Amino acid sequence: MRKSRLVLAPAVLLSAAALVLSGCAAEETTTTETSAATSTDSGDAAAETFDVYALLPQGTDQAYGTTYLPEMEAVAAELGVNLTITNSQYDADKQASECEIAVAAKPDGIILWPAVGDAVRPCLEAAAAAGIPVTVTNSDLFDADKALSAGFSGPDTYGQGVASAEIMCEIVGDAAVSIIQLNGSIGNSTAIDRDNGFTDTVAANCPNVTILDEQNTDWTKATAQQVASEMITAQGLENIDGIYAADDSIAAGAIAALEARGVDAADYFITGIGNTFMGNPLVAEGKLDGTVFQSSSWDGGNAVRLIHSVLTGAVSGDRELLLMPSVKVTAANATDADVAPEW
Amino acid sequence: MTNQTVIKVGADATGFWGKLKVALARRTEGRGVALFIVIASFVTVSQPLVFTAYQVTLGRIALIGLVALGLTAVILMGELDLSVASTLAVSGVIMTTVANQTNIAIGILAALAASVVISLVNAYFVAIVGLNSFIATLGMLFALRGLALVLSDEQPVKLENTDFGIAFGQPLVGPLTPRILIFFAVFIAIQVFVSRVKAGREFLAVGGNRQAAYDAGIPVKRRIFTGFIISGGVAALAGVVNSLERTAADPTAGSTVLLASFAAAIIGGNYLKGGKGSIVGTLIGAASLGMLQVALTISGVQVPVQEIFIGGVLLLAVLTDPSSLRAVWGSISTTFQGIKNSLAKQARD
Repeated sequence: MRKSRLVLAPAVLLSAAALVLSGCAAEETTTTETSAATSTDSGDAAAETFDVYALLPQGTDQAYGTTYLPEMEAVAAELGVNLTITNSQYDADKQASECEIAVAAKPDGIILWPAVGDAVRPCLEAAAAAGIPVTVTNSDLFDADKALSAGFSGPDTYGQGVASAEIMCEIVGDAAVSIIQLNGSIGNSTAIDRDNGFTDTVAANCPNVTILDEQNTDWTKATAQQVASEMITAQGLENIDGIYAADDSIAAGAIAALEARGVDAADYFITGIGNTFMGNPLVAEGKLDGTVFQSSSWDGGNAVRLIHSVLTGAVSGDRELLLMPSVKVTAANATDADVAPEW
Repeated sequence: MTNQTVIKVGADATGFWGKLKVALARRTEGRGVALFIVIASFVTVSQPLVFTAYQVTLGRIALIGLVALGLTAVILMGELDLSVASTLAVSGVIMTTVANQTNIAIGILAALAASVVISLVNAYFVAIVGLNSFIATLGMLFALRGLALVLSDEQPVKLENTDFGIAFGQPLVGPLTPRILIFFAVFIAIQVFVSRVKAGREFLAVGGNRQAAYDAGIPVKRRIFTGFIISGGVAALAGVVNSLERTAADPTAGSTVLLASFAAAIIGGNYLKGGKGSIVGTLIGAASLGMLQVALTISGVQVPVQEIFIGGVLLLAVLTDPSSLRAVWGSISTTFQGIKNSLAKQARD
């Protein structure tokens, strides 16, 4: 009798869990249907509905995603796009598995934000073989893979590196300075493009700026602070005049590392990218000399607009590019409404 | 009375139901099977695509389960191998780097050889030095992560023979890809080893009571070495498979595989303290977890919510262990008895 109870108890508990799961799934489906229904009523653009998988490497678990996703979902509802959104947490293997699921589900289109640029070729090949158009968002593909996608929408990541370098060159002037460089995560195409944009521009426009050392981070302030602190120790604080950070969170970490050494960050040449909630106030305070505006809502919204254009045939032929303008933000315009931070 | 009981059990054990009862009593996969049935039922109703596109689901199960199968070899002995995640990453980097300079076969051999060296170091610290396996393999986890980054120059290593990688990801037998076939081959190999080979069967004895295993003449240290070699070797194989399928080796790979592998082993009824569990259980655990993940992905459920579900399933698997249930039931009974006694005392006063 006791054994029977012991066997029945887990079965009952698991059944209860299944009911909860079923309830959640039903809720999810209803939400999607409601969105689609709303969009159908909203106007001409939503006359035709499309099922689209968005394979993203982040979601509401990261600051950028928290403002990227709502706009993406809002535009999808407006245009009649039923989105299924995944989050691989920058794990290439997980994203590849999600891509297999997406291809098996036979949606009308796939929006891909590569977790690791080098690893998406099989996904693109599988989608192409299944006749599913793919557009890329936020971080573009490497050149060899671009022919397998219908378009890209997102920041001009190389241009952002260029813009950050131009700010650096402008504030440094003709002085010979040495800086350290903090990049984004390993293998991420945004990190690589920004790195190339920055180093190419510095080499061309201000060769008087010497990059002493560069290290990768995981885009977070905490890791950036730790990495910057180690680089400062390795290079010697007295030998460092400035810092290039591939992102404002990284810049904030680097500034914290400097301040932990008892120095004023305003005395150093520091540039970042993003104009985030973390970076914008630092620009206004003068600790961060400049950053580059990146709108997460623009990014999320245009990812859907681009795939919709592809699916409706509004664009065809050449690979479509929707590039976000790289607006420089310095102390002079940091408080302007048109560059108000979004994430 | 005692004699009568013994005779009754003996008589039951000779009949069909008796044998079945004894066999079931010896198994640890009961909760895993119950969980699998519930999840499969839920998935059938809510997301039938999980079954209609079964090759995709099998691919996800293989992704989680391959490392978990190897990990079970050390779990059965009451040890842990946290380094499997980094072994996966470093072996992928070694395979791709060597393959780009020679050929893919040599690259695979180099990766597997490296995993043997890694496993020997792990086992040396655990069996010879006497370090706790959690600590020893945690150190190895970090060391190998750094090694993968150094070897790869902190960049993903692109496989130059991209066509081979793309072809490797295609179905080989019917709809089954090489990943799925390798997964089942590894399952059969380890299952046969653990259940049919003397050395493998001794894993459970080592995990159940190490001193008794020593006293019985089981070469415990040698078994620990064998277990770690299986664990590391299978993790390296997973790294090779992942790198070939993606046509690139990511030095940061394996970030989500470690916890998923442990979860699969635990859901399958394996005891982390060792001595109880099975490879079949891990297969069931991986299948349950894989199906759930695919269903949640298709439903568009965001990762934090997915983690709540998976964490809930894991907790259920642990809490529904008979000993846990008895403990909970005993605690509740004691509490109610205490309340009842105090109410009775108040009534008397």
